Parts: sequence; C-alpha cells; structure tokens
Amino acid sequence: MKPFDIVIVGGGGAGLYAAMEAMKTNPALNIAVLSKVYPNRSHTSAAQGGANAALGNKAKDDTVEMHIFDTIKGSDYLADQDAVDVLCSEAPKIIRELENIGTPWSRMEDNTIAQRPFGGAGRPRCCYCADKTGHTILQTLYEQCLKKGVLFFNEYFALNLSLNGSRSRGLIAMNMKTGKVEAFTAKTVIFATGGYAKMYWNRSSNAAGNTGDGQAIAYRAGIPMKDMEFVQFHPTGLRKSGLLVTEGARGEGGYLVNKDGERFMSRYAPEKMELGPRDLVSRSIETEILQGRGFDSPAGKYVHLDLRHLGADLILSRLPQIREMSLNFEGVDPINEPIPVRPTAHYSMGGIDTDNFGRTVMDGVYAAGECACVSVHGANRLGGNSLLDILVFGRIAGHTAAEEAGKFQPGMIPESEVKECMDELRSKMQRSGHYERYGALREELGQTLAINVGIYRESSLLKKGIEDISELQERFTKVRVTDTSDVFNTNLMQVLELKNMLDLAETVAVGALAREESRGSHTRIDFPQRDDEAWHKHTLATLVDRKLIAGEKPVTMGRYELQERTY
Amino acid sequence: MTVSIDQQQEPKRDVTFRVFRFNPQVDSKSYFDDYTISVERGITVLRSLNYIKEHVDASLSFRAFCQAGICGSCAMRVNGLSKLACTAQVWDELAKCREPGIIKVEPLRSLPMIKDLIVDMDPLVSKMTHYSNWIDSTMPEAEMGRKEFLISEEEFERYDKATDCILCASCVSECSILRANKEYVSPAVLLKSYRMNVDSRDSIHDLRLSELVKDHGVWDCTHCYRCQESCVKSIPIMEAIHGIREDAIASRGAKDTSGAKHAEAFMEDIEKKGKLVEATLPIRTNGIVWTLKNLLPMAVKMIMKRRTPPPPPLVKSSKGIKIFRTMFREMSEHVKEDQKSHKK
Repeated sequence: MKPFDIVIVGGGGAGLYAAMEAMKTNPALNIAVLSKVYPNRSHTSAAQGGANAALGNKAKDDTVEMHIFDTIKGSDYLADQDAVDVLCSEAPKIIRELENIGTPWSRMEDNTIAQRPFGGAGRPRCCYCADKTGHTILQTLYEQCLKKGVLFFNEYFALNLSLNGSRSRGLIAMNMKTGKVEAFTAKTVIFATGGYAKMYWNRSSNAAGNTGDGQAIAYRAGIPMKDMEFVQFHPTGLRKSGLLVTEGARGEGGYLVNKDGERFMSRYAPEKMELGPRDLVSRSIETEILQGRGFDSPAGKYVHLDLRHLGADLILSRLPQIREMSLNFEGVDPINEPIPVRPTAHYSMGGIDTDNFGRTVMDGVYAAGECACVSVHGANRLGGNSLLDILVFGRIAGHTAAEEAGKFQPGMIPESEVKECMDELRSKMQRSGHYERYGALREELGQTLAINVGIYRESSLLKKGIEDISELQERFTKVRVTDTSDVFNTNLMQVLELKNMLDLAETVAVGALAREESRGSHTRIDFPQRDDEAWHKHTLATLVDRKLIAGEKPVTMGRYELQERTY
Repeated sequence: MTVSIDQQQEPKRDVTFRVFRFNPQVDSKSYFDDYTISVERGITVLRSLNYIKEHVDASLSFRAFCQAGICGSCAMRVNGLSKLACTAQVWDELAKCREPGIIKVEPLRSLPMIKDLIVDMDPLVSKMTHYSNWIDSTMPEAEMGRKEFLISEEEFERYDKATDCILCASCVSECSILRANKEYVSPAVLLKSYRMNVDSRDSIHDLRLSELVKDHGVWDCTHCYRCQESCVKSIPIMEAIHGIREDAIASRGAKDTSGAKHAEAFMEDIEKKGKLVEATLPIRTNGIVWTLKNLLPMAVKMIMKRRTPPPPPLVKSSKGIKIFRTMFREMSEHVKEDQKSHKK
C-alpha cells in the first residue's frame, strides 16, 4: 500500500469530521479512515440529547461567554480555559456548517434551528434533532464523506503504532474480513476511537466496542494519558445491561424508590428530589444500595424507578422510548411494574493528552473526541458538550494534520514488524494447558471497577482495585483464543479489546488513588472536599519501560477565578 | 449441553437456538448448530448469543455494537424474519417458533455471506454512493458555517421519519425484488434518496431522480410492502417509494420511462374496463420493437400451451363498470388534490 498523508483511526463524529475537514484543507492529500465497525454504527449515534451552541435562537440574550462560563463551572474548574474558549467560540459555526450540509435539526417557529434547556446550562442552547441528534449528525457526516470519496477501511482493528525510535511511521491493523495484519505507513495518524467507559462492562451504558483502543495504543507507544480517573456515572442504567434510561423519565415525574418503599431522594435533595444533578442522584442511589436498602438479584443490586403513578396514557405518549427499552432489555412494562435501575458508567472525561490543535507529544500523532483530553470537560462533562467536543476538535485535528503532514517524512513500516504482529496474534491461539476464559476476566474487571473504582472511592478500595487489575493483567497472559479461523475472528478481536481495557483500567485506578480530593465525578470518601491547593491540576499517566509513571500538568486558567461549584 | 444464563429465582425456560453456521475457510456448505441454554424473562436474542459465545462456543460469529437498538449492527433473521437481535425478546420469539422451543437464527438475505451470521454490507454502501445519497448543498463551501437555511416545520416533517433509518438492512433482506435481482437499488437506498430529494437544501434532485428511474431503479418495486413491515424503526418506506414515483411522473412526464408508461397503461385499462388488457400491456410499456425482440419467444410458448391472454376486443368491461368509473374519477380527483396540497 502506498504511504498515506493521514490515517484516521475511528469513524465516529470526530473521525469523520476530521476526514472531511482534512480533504477540504488539502484535496491532494491521500487520506484513509480505519474503523472497526462500519462508520454509521459508531457510538456517536447513541447521543440523543443534542449539542450546545450559543446560537441565540431560543434565548436571544445567550452568548458564547455564558457558554464558556457554564462549561468551566461544570468542569469543577479543571478544564483548561483556553480550550473551553475554542470549544464554545467554534460551536455556532460548526452547528451551522452541519446544518448547511443536511443535518435535519428540529426547528423553531421562526424556522431557525431549535434549542432546548439542558442540565448545567444557564440558557437553552442545546441544538437537537428530536431524540436522535447523534444519529442524524453521524449519518450526515458519513454521507458527506461518501460524497467526497473518503477512502474507508471498514472493519479494520487497529493494533499498534509503528515506531521508529520515538517517531511514528504509521499504524498496524488487522483486516477483520481476512484476518491479515496490514501496515498503513502514514505521515500523520489521528486517533478518534471514542471513550473507555465500557471497561465497567455490564455497569456501563456504552457500546460493546468502547474499549479505549486508541488510548491504549497511544499509551503503549509512550504518549501520556490525562485525567483518566474522571468517569461520569449516569444515575439510571438498566440493571441487567447498564443501558440508559434517559433523564426524561424523572423529568416527567418518575419516583426513585428503595426496597422499603421509600422515595429516598428526600434524604439527599429534599427540594429537587429526583431532579437533582446527575452526580448527586448517582451518589444517592449508590448510598442506598451500599447501606442495604437496595433490591438484590443475581444481576446485582438495584433500586426502582417507578412510573406507574403517571398512568398508561402519559407513559405511552411522552415516554414511549423508555417503555420500549424497559420491555426490550428488562422484560418489564413500566405501566405495570417499576423499572430496576442503578448508576452506570457513561462517559470518560480523561484520554490522550492533546493541545488545543489536537497534537499529542509525539510528532505526527493527533487525537480528538472522547478519546482525547484537551481538556474541555475537566472533572465533569456537561450534557450537550460531548457531541460538540467531537465536532469541534475532530475538525481542528483534521485541519492541523492536513497542514502539518508535509513536515514529516517517516520511513516505510518494515515487513518484519507486520510479521511479528501476526505471529503474536497466532500465539494467542496456540496456548496449551491451563487457560483463562476472556469472558470471565472481562466480567471481573467490570465488577472490581464498579465496586472499587466506582462512584464512591476510598484509599483501601482503590488499592484493592489496583491489585485486582494487576492480577487480571497477569491472568490475561493465559487467555486463549479458541476460534482459530482467519475470517472475521470476533473472538480474537474481543480478546484484544480486553487487553486494551486492562491497560487503561490501571491508569484510571492509579489516577483515582493519587487524587486525594473530591472534584466533579471523582468522589473520595476519605477526602470529601475539593482541594485546590494540592489538586488543582491534571494527572498524567505515561508508560515508561512497561511501567506506569504518574505525572501532572497545570490547569490553564483565564478570565474565571476558582469558585465553589454550587447549583 | 444445558447451562444457565443467570441464577435467578425468576421463571426460566430451556431454549434451543438453531444457528446458521458457515466458515468459508473450512466449510464447503452451511449447516446449523443447536445450542440449548436456560433463559429467564427479559433476555434478548443477542444476549443469548453473547452468552453462547462466551460460555459454549467462542467461534460463533456475529456483529454487535451498541446492543440497544440504535446502531443497526446485529440485524439477522430470527425465526425467519429480519430484525435486530438486540431488541428481540427470547420469550416473545418462543411464541413464534415453527418447532416448539427452537429459535432459528440466520444471517440476512440478499447480501454476500462472510461468516456465520455476518454478511457483507459493502454492496449497500456502493448503492448509496451510486444514487448520491447525500445532500449536495446549494450553499458554496466557502460560505458555510455563517448562516442557517430557514427550514419550515412542514419540510422537516417530510424527511423526519426517513432520517430514523439506521441502515440495519433488514428491509434489504426482506425485499422480494432483491432476492431475484441483486442490482436492484434496494428499499433503504430508495428511502434515503427520497429523503434527499425532498430537502430544499439539496441541489442535485434531478440528477438523482434520473438515476432512480433507470433500470434496477424505483420502477422495479412490486409493492409487496415487506420492507415496510420489517422496518425496525417503523418507517413508512413505501410512502417514500411512492413519493419518488409521483415525483418522477410529475417532473419528467409519464412517457419518459417504461416504469411510468406501465403505470399509465394500468390506469387507462382500469378506468376503461375495470380490468387489465394484458395482451397489449408490454407494447404500451416498452414499445413494439422491444416487445417483439424480448417477448416473442415467450408468446409463442404461451400460444403452444394455450395460455395467451384474450385479445383486446374480447376483454369485456367488468360488471357495474359505470358506477366504477364514477368512483374511479372521483378518487383520481382526490389524489390530484392531495398532491397539490403536498406540493404547497
């Protein structure tokens, strides 16, 4: 294969925007998008809510400045203020650009793009398309990439960066359809592979493939991860699958009830009750369960989300999707029975450390979207800012890579490296004697993370978590791939994904143990206060000689001084 | 082998999944494997397959991603019908089994097989590209991002349902035309084409339409409605197909393509006689030259077997034709009015 100027890993919102923008910046470039799924399957499609932009269509007095402040405050002051400036200033332009190329935004009465209120935002600035915003954005971007003739390598699983000393010379990936390992020599590589919250497995709302592949590859290549300890939990995940029951259920008046029949939110938020902020409601449910007031089942402990008092009419007309989810994934009809729920890992704030242009510390390697940490979300992401993040920084990363590709002259990836990779994959199929089941390891990883590196964290728990992860890493060396075929070996792919999750889980747990304070999504029982003096900074995790080396990085401040975060 | 999916007090049932297997590396032809597991209420077909893969047979291959009915990865045929495995409840499927207690799981049809339940989606992507399934904006690229198009709620409603499509390809698998002709445009691509063609921001409506009315295009649909019945997002796909056809007749004239001429001839016969004059239908659709060249051998065969349709003078009008004609004209007027108000 001839060398590429840009190889983009991941075909979700960030990757596709990067591809589109790079082609626009320099149509002569040779660009490829690799994705382990068909791009239109990417997890961007699951984002229902919308994307924030101070268009001022709904609230005429909304400004970019207010959006900036809301985002910084929401981040518990851990976001870099110059990065937030970029995010919010670019927002109106990017939403209009998407509109101009066909995204079917819902409309206001005056035919402009519709906006609605969202948690943590001072003005209604969330642009949406019914409850399918992410889906329609992803479709639009995919359509435009097909129009521009972007070269797609669908169902390719990324394995490694190929390094020449400390320089990247491209990517090595496996073609799922043939099982062949292939080299993609490239001047620049952009990682846009999404988040890592699936490491919580059945305690996660994420797609099965959100296993942090890009982060793990970058981490193994020596690129630092930033703020990995920050994982956002959504209060109401379904018990069996972790899938989301959206906030709408509580918005319409649903009750959260423990096994004693109590509406327990009266203990934690007597005024707002079920409508308190996400992190507070998540912590409240977790407390009920920890103190023995949850229901018990083999699929785990849970509480009830009770909608029955709302009546069949309201449930059918206003919450049809929630009813369908509950029927499909719990076999429970909320008209007649309460829905079993518990908090679920939803979003990863941490990721590959980048600057405001998507650059990592390694020349020619970029990252964007949930897989990167610029950082615009700090310790806690606001609703409606995740779609915005992937669009704005996907576009910027694509532009930067297109401008800078000419600067790098990497050598070709040697055939021997491809063969080594292939041999290593093969060796996983040839283990004999005692071996471990990957499914069991995956489940145990999710369990230990949910218990020890979950919503409530504490020194002894975190140490136990780190021990468990290290033991699982050890046991992983004995995992055998039992499907030995070359064609579409999903068994092999899932084992490789597990390896990525195990590598990253360590950075999450180690970061959480180091950060001796409570900030945003990170709650330490032993350090319940935010500690600006000691911890107003980013944590870094870098792999040096196969060892995690912890580091730190200052937060970039700007116009806004540190304040207490209250709502 | 019976293994349990969840040690729960809830009632459980033993269910056999009869799964289509094919690995092109070793199998000369496909076969079925039976996996029996114990399943409680609320478990989906996909979760059962995941369980089988983790605990019983790791080589069983299928696609799955969001597992929540949004991404469209896990479309397959369950008990003979194409659907998403992640939203198909095992207990519901048990009620639909041909053989009691045995749920049959097969790959989608009309797409090339890769392995087990995995089929190749590339042909669908190629068709989306061929029929320009994208907006070619009327706004020049240099001006983008500065201002919004103003779009009315009515226009939004025209493509709202069509943009629900997740390209799962269930309709592709169920389409009766595709089973006979792999080159047929396919329902999902017609739906997307329609969605683009009614969008006021788009500038290549005519180009797209001219492709759609060619061979293997919109006129090949036989209105079996299977696409619409199997749509996992309940999208009225046939409305889109009818929409393209009406658009084609309105903007290019009824004489433009054989598909349009065929539809016109149908209408003419029904209005005149209340039934079809089949003998001349091919001539009126495709012309005398085409008919002689392509249908003469078949006509000869039909004559030999005494299966020829009656010649036009012998086709008598149906009983009560006068009342029927009045009704027919009244209906046609209604349709015309409807179309006018749609245009507005």
